[in-house]
Amino acid sequence: MENLTRVTIDFDTSHLIFPIMIGVILSLLGLAILIRDRAAIMSSGQMWATTFRDMDKPRFFGALAITIVYFLAMVPVGNIWPNAGYGFLICSVPYVIALGLLFMHSRSRAAIGSMLAVAIIAPPVVWWLFSEVFFLTLP
Amino acid sequence: MTISRRTLLVAASAAALMAQPMAAAAQDLPRNVRMVIGSSSTGGDTYQNASILAESLSEHLGINVRVDPVGASEAFKALARDSRGTTIMMHHDQSYLQELYGIEGSPDIFAETIVGPTISVNPGNAYLVPADSPYQSMDDILAAAEAGERVRVAIQPGGVSEIGFTAMRNAARLRAPGSEANIVPVNTGDQADKNQAMWDDLADVINGSIQANEQFTQLPSDDPTAMRFIWITATPETLNKAPAEGLGATSRDDMLAYAAPAVSVPMTADENFTFDKEFFLMFNPETDPALIQAIDTAMEEIYAKGAIQERFLSSFFTPQYRPMAEAQEHLQSKNNDYETIISDLKSE
Amino acid sequence: MDLLAHLLDPWFIGLIFGGTLMGIVFGAIPGMTATMAVAVCLPLTFSLGLVNGLALLLSLYVGGITGGLVPAILLGIPGTPSSITTTFDGFPMAKRGEGEKALKIAIIASVAGGLVSLVALFFFAPVLAKFAIKFSYVEKFLIIFFALTVMAALSKDMLLGIFSGVLGIFLSLIGTYDITNGGNGHTRLIPPGMDYWLDGGFALLPVLIGIFGVTVILEEAELGMPRGQSLKDIEVGPHSRFSFSIFKGQTLNLLRSGSIGTFVGILPGVGGSAASILSYTAAKTTSRHPERFGKGEPAGVIASEAGNNGLTGGALVPLLSLGIPGDSTTALLIGAFALQGIQVGPLFISQNIDTWNAMITAMVISNLVMLVTMFFAIRWFAMVIAVPKQILYPFILMMCVIGAYTINYGIIFDVWTLLIFGVFGWLMVKLKLEVAPFIIGFILGPSAEIYFVKSLESFGDPFIFFTKSWIAAFLWVLIIASVVMSVILSRRNRSDGAMRT
Repeated sequence: MENLTRVTIDFDTSHLIFPIMIGVILSLLGLAILIRDRAAIMSSGQMWATTFRDMDKPRFFGALAITIVYFLAMVPVGNIWPNAGYGFLICSVPYVIALGLLFMHSRSRAAIGSMLAVAIIAPPVVWWLFSEVFFLTLP
Repeated sequence: MTISRRTLLVAASAAALMAQPMAAAAQDLPRNVRMVIGSSSTGGDTYQNASILAESLSEHLGINVRVDPVGASEAFKALARDSRGTTIMMHHDQSYLQELYGIEGSPDIFAETIVGPTISVNPGNAYLVPADSPYQSMDDILAAAEAGERVRVAIQPGGVSEIGFTAMRNAARLRAPGSEANIVPVNTGDQADKNQAMWDDLADVINGSIQANEQFTQLPSDDPTAMRFIWITATPETLNKAPAEGLGATSRDDMLAYAAPAVSVPMTADENFTFDKEFFLMFNPETDPALIQAIDTAMEEIYAKGAIQERFLSSFFTPQYRPMAEAQEHLQSKNNDYETIISDLKSE
Repeated sequence: MDLLAHLLDPWFIGLIFGGTLMGIVFGAIPGMTATMAVAVCLPLTFSLGLVNGLALLLSLYVGGITGGLVPAILLGIPGTPSSITTTFDGFPMAKRGEGEKALKIAIIASVAGGLVSLVALFFFAPVLAKFAIKFSYVEKFLIIFFALTVMAALSKDMLLGIFSGVLGIFLSLIGTYDITNGGNGHTRLIPPGMDYWLDGGFALLPVLIGIFGVTVILEEAELGMPRGQSLKDIEVGPHSRFSFSIFKGQTLNLLRSGSIGTFVGILPGVGGSAASILSYTAAKTTSRHPERFGKGEPAGVIASEAGNNGLTGGALVPLLSLGIPGDSTTALLIGAFALQGIQVGPLFISQNIDTWNAMITAMVISNLVMLVTMFFAIRWFAMVIAVPKQILYPFILMMCVIGAYTINYGIIFDVWTLLIFGVFGWLMVKLKLEVAPFIIGFILGPSAEIYFVKSLESFGDPFIFFTKSWIAAFLWVLIIASVVMSVILSRRNRSDGAMRT
């Protein structure tokens, strides 16, 4: 009798059991959504069109692009002075400035000034704290 | 010793800054060295040993050595990316054992890295049974296996935790071929899981360590969590280097009673199996040999001074410096021994 | 005798004060966590000596767990993983101008939760540890499963919410089936060509700050950075004023959440974030007004904060009575003990009674320091809202980068994870998928897997989940109650909606 309810798990393939189970549940739920919300899904092109029409494209894509450049630049720049964290330090200043300018509405002198002050003071302070005081590795 | 690592580092880096042109010319060592380790825990033995070494190296060489516990897989990647000698790796026997056990993505350290000097040994690798276990010795366990009794051993598969288990099976095979099939693994995770496996009666024997389990062996035997040591895998030479007072209420003599030769787990007909968990350095194969040499020499000088030994001993590790060439030979021969046992067991 | 000496030692008190403050700051900065605060100060403890070193680390822990509530409430970005559930009601409160009130509620709940757990720790540590070891893989799986049922309760649309949650579990499984947790070291679900980056999977913290922090900033960018709130907005009319009467009828909630947090802390391997998730679920399912949760219900903030601070005492129970850490922060404390050559295990308390008393005292003082400083610092916290977004957001992003990069000690892929999940979070909102269940699935997925598979592997019987023990049976009662409540709630919501239209 007991054999009917016994399961044996092969340790070597046990890494697949849960992902398969979750995968099946996920597909079933996905299918249910497809059926229930088919109308909404069919008209999703409309939703995306509206999204992109109303979107502040320079700010949205600009923020994405600047962030990607920031991430890409950090490691190579940091590699020039190994393990000193200068990659983070050097790239963060222009990043904060660029993003600040992009997000700013009225680029008044006062607004730019305070933003520049933060961009020039914050990264070195943060770098000093984490790299020199807390002794953590930064890019 | 009331000076913190950080104070030292600040002092060292200030000194290094002033003496930079000189130091740079003298040794050409990078000013900032990153020591990645094969463990991602900052509470574990790997991190402790790494920080003791890093601190001594920083002080001795006037450079910054940071320990980054990124875990084995990321550590090997970081090491492979950096051939300038600014990243070095520290790990223990797990690094080649996981390759011998066929763990996915494990590099062959003897081919893909330059194995550097050994640093220290954690003598603590041990096997334990519940306090009320019928097994009084390893011999009882092997006899039980021979008699057809299943002995379940909780281990973390694929490395240091499994090697003693492999040795048990090998010993069972030597004693009565076929009986090794009665020594079965219970694959668990960290120490908490292994202890829990014992308490849940899922395992008859668990892998553990002197450091983590000693207090459980001191509990009254009616305590449901009480345990007994049954085997300590370290060599008697290593244990003899440990402080005589041992750890907690377990003296060095108590420990020796659980280790070879008092406890015999045969590896071959006339040799006992022993296992010392040794920490050692690894370098990127393209690193400038002069740089590697500089670190090896620095370690030799540090160990000659003798202060680092105290640090290791006070944390219950045994200092064990072997110069690079000797270390390579030693680890390679260890690797070969274990490879033989593992493949012998597999082939049957 | 020693205890009094500690109390009179300016170092001891000073370190607690400094540690708590630094912990609060760490917790309050998105991307920085209590664990990191403890990690960076660990080497200091060698020269401070055991008791003073522990005083520092424990106050960092208490401060760090609490500090997370500040950005959770004011910006909707949890400062630490355990304050996720604080955003659910804290942020809506702040948006409708009750930021100050929400902060005060959260702070008091935190202290209450912390003290509940300290009482438990001080009086019952050995007993609780003995009870905790009755939890095998099966019971731990059921606890996780119970926590997962909150996905249903949190969903606005049940189907989409559960789908999001299951998707979170699925994505959390990417990478290696971790050997150190009991897995076999094989990788799975890695898209072709991504092995090099993804063999360790996506790290939790970058996913979390990506999906909360980066997503929020992307959404704001999409809208063209609308003007934010000003200081005036968070202190509108008298109806939003804080008064202690809010806590009337919440005693049970405080005690229950603090106890749940403590208990989750006691179970090694269940994970710190589960504490606040479970107490939030409990509060919602037992509330008379479950429909208010997620829209700015003070009881939700109370449950979440009392729960995550309950963790602080709880996680020390297995550490000090079994030598096993209850969460990732207490795991670091083992290092502090090891540095001093002190063994932690079942004999720790009896052999080091002075240290033990000093630890508890340090945590009590730290909780009080936290209460006082946070209460008076609310004004300054609130100023965060007045910082122009063009300064605040780049700064937050920069801090998120540091947090992501340093969480695993220097892995650049963790930084990319931040961006990947920032964009993913933005897409999720567009696709009407739900972030809260997703992140809960992502947090709990790996533990759910290991305990589920190991239960079957060890016991070989799928019915073991029902028959293992009375604890298992009791957990099933909770699970069923939670599911039934969610269904009733969703029905009620639907019929309310139908009546209104």
